Amino acid sequence: MRPWRWLVAVLVATWLLPAAARATDRDGRIRLWHAWRGEEEAALAELLESWDGPTVEVLAVPYDALSSKLGSAIPFGEGPDIFVDSHERLGEYHRRELVADVGDAFEDGAYVGEAVDAVTIDGARFGVPLSMKSLALYVNDDLVAVVPGDLEGIAALAETLPEGVVALAYEANNAYAHAAILHACGGRLLNDDDSFGFVGPAAETSIDVVLDLLDAGVVPREADGALVTNLFRSGKAAFAMSGPWLAADLATPEGDAVRYHVEPLPLLARTRGRLQPLLTVESAMLSPSGAARPEVRRFAAFLASSAAAARRAERARAVTARTDTPSADPIVRAFAAQGRAAVPMSTRPAMRAAWEPANKALRKILRGDAPVTEALVEAEHRFAMVMRPPPPARSPTILLVVIGGALMFGAVVLVQRARTRAFREQVRRSIPAWLWVAHAVFVVGVLVVLPLLVGTATSLFGGPPGDVHYVGAANFVDILTARGGPLLASGSFWLTLLVTVLWTVVNVALHVGLGLAFGILLARPVLRMRAMYRVLLIIPWAVPNYVTALAWKGMFHRQFGAVTGATMALGDWLGVTIEPIAWFSRFSTAFTANVATNAWLGFPFMMVVTVAALGSVPKDVLEAAEVDGASRWQRFRHVTLPMIGPSLVPAVMLGAIWTFNMFNVVFLVSGGDPDGTTDILVSEAYRWAFTRDAQYGYAAAYAVLIFVLLSGITRGLDRIGAAAKAKVGP
Amino acid sequence: MTPLRRWLQAFAVHGVLLVGVAFALYPVLWVAALAFSGSNAPEPRVLPWPSEPTLAHLTEVVGATADDGGETIWIFGRQLLNSLVVGAATALVGVLIAIPTAYALARFEFLGKRRGMGVLLATQMFPAVASAIPLYLILESAGLLNTRTGLVLCYASTAVPFAIFQLRAAFEAIPVDLEEAAMVDGATRLGAFVRVVLPVARPAIAVTSLFAFMSAYNEFILAATLLDDSKMFTLPVMLQRFVGEYDARWEAFAAGALVVSLPVMGLFYVAQRHLVEGLASGGVKG
Amino acid sequence: MVEIRLRAVSKRFGDTVVLDGIDACFPDRSFVVLVGKSGCGKSTLLRCIAGLEEVTEGGIEFGGRDVTRLAPRDRDVAMVFQSYALYPHMTVRRNLAFGLELRKEKRAVIDARVAEVAKLLEIEHLLDRHPRALSGGQRQRVAMGRAIVRRPAVFMFDEPLSNLDPTLRNTVRVDIRRMHDDLGATTIYVTHDQVEAMTLADVLVVLDRGVVQQIGAPIDVYRNPANRFVAGFVGSPAMNFLDGRVVDSTVELAGGVRVPLPEGTPAVAAGKTVVVGIRPHDVRRDPDGTVAFVVELVETLGSHVHVHGRVGDAVFVAAFEGHTGPKRGETLSLVVDRLHLFDPETGVALR
Ligand SMILES: Nc1ncnc2c1ncn2[C@@H]1O[C@H](COP(=O)(O)OP(=O)(O)O)[C@@H](O)[C@H]1O
Ligand SMILES: [Mg+2]
Repeated sequence: MRPWRWLVAVLVATWLLPAAARATDRDGRIRLWHAWRGEEEAALAELLESWDGPTVEVLAVPYDALSSKLGSAIPFGEGPDIFVDSHERLGEYHRRELVADVGDAFEDGAYVGEAVDAVTIDGARFGVPLSMKSLALYVNDDLVAVVPGDLEGIAALAETLPEGVVALAYEANNAYAHAAILHACGGRLLNDDDSFGFVGPAAETSIDVVLDLLDAGVVPREADGALVTNLFRSGKAAFAMSGPWLAADLATPEGDAVRYHVEPLPLLARTRGRLQPLLTVESAMLSPSGAARPEVRRFAAFLASSAAAARRAERARAVTARTDTPSADPIVRAFAAQGRAAVPMSTRPAMRAAWEPANKALRKILRGDAPVTEALVEAEHRFAMVMRPPPPARSPTILLVVIGGALMFGAVVLVQRARTRAFREQVRRSIPAWLWVAHAVFVVGVLVVLPLLVGTATSLFGGPPGDVHYVGAANFVDILTARGGPLLASGSFWLTLLVTVLWTVVNVALHVGLGLAFGILLARPVLRMRAMYRVLLIIPWAVPNYVTALAWKGMFHRQFGAVTGATMALGDWLGVTIEPIAWFSRFSTAFTANVATNAWLGFPFMMVVTVAALGSVPKDVLEAAEVDGASRWQRFRHVTLPMIGPSLVPAVMLGAIWTFNMFNVVFLVSGGDPDGTTDILVSEAYRWAFTRDAQYGYAAAYAVLIFVLLSGITRGLDRIGAAAKAKVGP
Repeated sequence: MTPLRRWLQAFAVHGVLLVGVAFALYPVLWVAALAFSGSNAPEPRVLPWPSEPTLAHLTEVVGATADDGGETIWIFGRQLLNSLVVGAATALVGVLIAIPTAYALARFEFLGKRRGMGVLLATQMFPAVASAIPLYLILESAGLLNTRTGLVLCYASTAVPFAIFQLRAAFEAIPVDLEEAAMVDGATRLGAFVRVVLPVARPAIAVTSLFAFMSAYNEFILAATLLDDSKMFTLPVMLQRFVGEYDARWEAFAAGALVVSLPVMGLFYVAQRHLVEGLASGGVKG
Repeated sequence: MVEIRLRAVSKRFGDTVVLDGIDACFPDRSFVVLVGKSGCGKSTLLRCIAGLEEVTEGGIEFGGRDVTRLAPRDRDVAMVFQSYALYPHMTVRRNLAFGLELRKEKRAVIDARVAEVAKLLEIEHLLDRHPRALSGGQRQRVAMGRAIVRRPAVFMFDEPLSNLDPTLRNTVRVDIRRMHDDLGATTIYVTHDQVEAMTLADVLVVLDRGVVQQIGAPIDVYRNPANRFVAGFVGSPAMNFLDGRVVDSTVELAGGVRVPLPEGTPAVAAGKTVVVGIRPHDVRRDPDGTVAFVVELVETLGSHVHVHGRVGDAVFVAAFEGHTGPKRGETLSLVVDRLHLFDPETGVALR
């Protein structure tokens, strides 16, 4: 009993102390959320030392997680008073009332026009501009003597560069980077009327430009940010199109890794347009409760002040949006110049929906998987699917009548049963048992059943947050008809279902195969070092799921992954150069990576189950078979397997359910890449809920469909299990 | 069997097992190697051996401090404590709630039993995406957002059904005779349960608690959504920082992953004997 | 040390009737054996008396005290289970002490009694072991010790010997009876083995399908079975049953064989069809015998031989003293010393 008491004491203590502390000193504090890292974070810490107002409670949130955290905290009065985020999310925040007018925190006339535009919605200021971020051109001064004035000139330089050096490193298949070229061709990602811009002649021209660059070997294929950094830092790229973060990465304690300078992006001779990168204005935004507090507004003004801007420029090379704080740093100056020749990202909520289709189309085309026009039109269609107006509101009368009828019927049946003596007798007998389960019924009811019922009900609603209405079965109709598109179009429910089924079958087969194989070996009557083998083989089960997923993602990483290393080592050994495979750019390889991860983390469970099941096979039956002359294999096939089958079936069932809903692996390893083709139903549902305009009703409808499918599958497997059991006996 | 054949067979068996062990261990070692590697420009590596060995990443992660209203606190320690406390509380709450319920399901016939079990089973097939938001609303109305209590309640919502299924199977495997003997010996139903059934079911209860603990200790999506005070974070949320989309710091992540995983791996090692027992007693019939 | 009275005890599980209106009275200090085929409701009746099962109707009294609604612990009973039900997490010592601890006995009293019982059962050297380290026989003794140590008013046994090997079974059987005689409690013992039943019982209760068929001293039940079921169940080898018809002072079997009714056979109206029951031990080889018995198989037991064969078309078993039997194929003529007549419809003994 003693350890229990000790544990309870610790629990109570750790609970009460911070709670008490919180109650007293949170009031009056200012809560700040940001996504800054490294030097920028350090600059913030320095600034806070010179702040003389109330204590600031700082929380660093990963950039990818910031907006969903804000959305789930501020409406409930939680979350920050002030937060720093990119201006392009403002429209969304404004619509969802996560931000308020910053009022006197905004200093009129202090900022460049682009920055002011960026934080202005309907004439009101919803943010205080802090810094501007855009791409610009990095030039390696050791490789380039004279910088050509246009992109074509840079391409022409490629011929003169040493072996293994690319002319221009940038993330060609990222729509954010591609936008610079698109702008030079007169296009936009999102048109002013909220229609999809990455389609039509301008878009096609911009892609032609890139395809030419790729074919000529001027630009590396499938580069991501890390590769761009690597190439430029190691002197393997003459130019790089990248943001201020590259400069930070080039800095080492002994000075810069390469000799370079930065200048604005060049012209595109073909269209005589200038490459104009997208401009992001990092701004301090105020939550409605924060905006109401003068000290919070004062703090926002403090963050945006000239002194603060200078500190950030000095420490983190942040490019200020202020007109009155020029920097001496040539790189900061170059980015500042680029900022005035950049296109501020649209703040409209539709912008968020444009990224996913644009990126998918771009990657597909650059990989050569689809003709240009077709891919762009498909992207436009996808955009329309996400942005299409919510289904019209329907009158819930029919639903209410059905529910009412069902309730009435249930009540009548109940009353009739309650009248019989047998029922009353049963109730009397059940009362003691009910006392044992009452608390759990309450807890499970509130924490499990109620949320599920509400979630299920949500599937009958549609519309953006704030304007939700009853839509009947429209969500289901939409999903099951693939929103009018072809049934097996990429991203459609049916294709995702197919992938999910494939995913489940392959994984369960691997789990059972590996589990059986190792389980049988471990259960051998004589085996040296059995305990050691068992402990080591069980390790994957002990590792937290998400750690496993991220570790495997790392192992498949194109630059430093073990798998890449292995293929390259193999190539060295064979005397050929094997290009690193981009594992997540093709369905087959991405799917394989996911499966490898999941097979790794799932097989020990089956192995343990197999060992347990084998332990319960009576020896005499096996001996009887041996006496009957059965070979080792025959004994396994005709005696062992049928006898352990029934105890494996529930485990297989459980494994199938887990795999079917294995969100972590799919989401963290491939993340659905390429093009969401490796997404399974759960991760798709998650995307609808959290990344595509918060379409909770749609996500809930997915969840309901998953539930229906799984119930069907388990019922089927249950029947198989029962049949298997009946054959072997108890 | 001839000695040669026996030898060949042993060779094959150990060969296959060693390949399996290599498969199981490699990713773990690889992460460990990454965690102790000094270079900031990761090169592809095959052998799980650190390059430029250093403890810098480990000390950075473990020694992380934060400023709390002028005071410097050892934030990593806080977060580790949070993880342990949340895990332990989830296990405690989940198992305490489940024990009497599982016992009643295993031993009594009562009205609503079959229907209740059906509902409980059905809830397990519902992906969490749909219920996360309503759950969030419930916590909000109880004022439990951004608290460990709220997080524990969330985790309990999965731990309780799981524990009920596990423990029901375990209780069913205990002969009724034992309780009846105790009742004849002079115990009440409750007394027989506490003094005979619970001690006999201890391995199963331990395994169930371990699983509940692990599921809470390892969870990260809910924790990342519900908590917004770094003093409240659990370790997985802390780790999330290192693998953002725009700047991944794999070495630091690896070091953190190692630190986070070691306690659960240790527990797992301790419990692995009972694990087979617990599963063998029908625990997976859920 | 109580008299046990059952008043119209009935037990139903849902719609299945397991016990149907059982009336009985077991005198103080008697050894009562409940016997019947497997599934006839013996255990259920025992469990009802112990309080582990609630009776659906009827009442149970211990020494005039109504215990029908009392929990087991308030009935002052002890029970030895078929599976022994030793607490696996406790040592033998604690297994023995558990009941006393629950009753809040003083530590010294507990220790003394445990020691006493351990000595009595010769399990002193096992006291610090756990049950899983004991053999079947040792477990059985511990289970008995656990019952004895509490000195209850009523002992209950549910097939306590069925998990032991046959030789051990005989010695333990004797031990149980001796223990009963020494302790002077009322004992209720369930078995499906009629040899056990006959040898142990003061009062034999024969059950079939939840109904008491007969209650009485074993020898009475053997001599005067109340009906065909009891007659067939009690006694080994089992009684032979032949169809017949009463003619004058004989009974005519199928095939025309006439068997004279021995002395003491109850008078039965002539011409009535009956079932004739003849125990294998109640026939003799005699050249004057009227019954022709064709031998098919001979089993030699040492002191007896069991002869299987046919009388007319009917299967028949005879038991003779001595160790040499007839040969296969031989025809013997038998004299019947004693027979029982049963009503062919109801199976009730005709008296
Ligand atoms: N808890 C129960 N529920 C339903 N039927 C039962 C239950 N316990 C016993 N029975 C039925 O009652 C009958 C008598 O059982 P029992 O008393 O155990 O027989 P036995 O004479 O072999 O000990 C059997 O047919 C059995 O199937
Ligand atoms: Mg029985």
